[in-house]
Amino acid sequence: MVQEPAGLDIRYTYVTDTPYLRQWLLQPEVQKWFPVSEEKEIEDAVQCWIGFSRYSSSITATLDAEPCGVATLFLMPYRKVAHHCLFKLVVNPKHQRKGIGSALLKNLKHLAKNYFHLDLMHIEVYEGNPVVHLLLKHDFHEFARQERFVKDQSGYRARILYESFL
Amino acid sequence: MQESASSLTYRITQPEDAPLLSNWLTDPKILQWFPMCDAREIEDAVRIWVGYCKIGSAITALMQGEPCGMANLYIQPYKKQAHTCLFSIIVKEELRGRGIGAQLLEYLMQYAKEKFHIEILHLEVYEGNPAKRLYERLGFKEFGCQTKFIKEEGRYKAKFLMQKYLLG
Repeated sequence: MVQEPAGLDIRYTYVTDTPYLRQWLLQPEVQKWFPVSEEKEIEDAVQCWIGFSRYSSSITATLDAEPCGVATLFLMPYRKVAHHCLFKLVVNPKHQRKGIGSALLKNLKHLAKNYFHLDLMHIEVYEGNPVVHLLLKHDFHEFARQERFVKDQSGYRARILYESFL
Repeated sequence: MQESASSLTYRITQPEDAPLLSNWLTDPKILQWFPMCDAREIEDAVRIWVGYCKIGSAITALMQGEPCGMANLYIQPYKKQAHTCLFSIIVKEELRGRGIGAQLLEYLMQYAKEKFHIEILHLEVYEGNPAKRLYERLGFKEFGCQTKFIKEEGRYKAKFLMQKYLLG
């Protein structure tokens, strides 16, 4: 089991975390797992993502007070579906494989269950994304697989949807 | 004699269609198949739906010049996914069972392919919705199921995810 690094803290996301999230998504090794592929798309995605900080549904991991990862519940706007939500998670590639993603996911599940009273949460990942190991470790299971959903210079990839009952 | 779907014509949805769409969605027999549940939520969903008329991806079907159904392609904002598209479709409750949905969907598939170069059209349909049979008949295949997607009065209903490759 990966030990959480010293100096790791989890707090709510602030709007001031925006430049960090933007910077991570600009990096090709992160971008390949997200739908964004150019600056305008990144800007739109970052604004939408950070916008959830106003509902306190987003958390930021910090290492020695510097943001190193963000995980966010994209709360649903309609009551019939308000018992679940999509979430997104990203870790600064410089700090991956240190247990930060795991700490974020554990805390996000806690927030979803105990503060927002959600029954389940789900995530979309692209085929080949190593985050799948983390999801399986945290009791997520696959419920949908859409072949050829992503198309870029390397060809087509599937999107796979995972959910966890809280 | 009832008018048949063969006499349908189509145009881009106009902002003026919004009250009509709201009105159709307000019917509980239709609303049960959508995620919204009250006037505020319907207004929000209609605003998003009709907003797509700006890029010409929202279609209104007309029978004898009167709107009888609408469909919308939620065109993806991201290039990597721009070859795929989720859609919604609705037929006026009193005119259901006359083949309007099938004809509108056939038109939408052709339109998606020709105007927006869509390769994969996908949809979400709730457990119990008779429209699922229509989608199957038109070649949509299920690729997933979220068993607890809808929650009403403590009871869950599943959502099926279906898609069709438009390029064959």
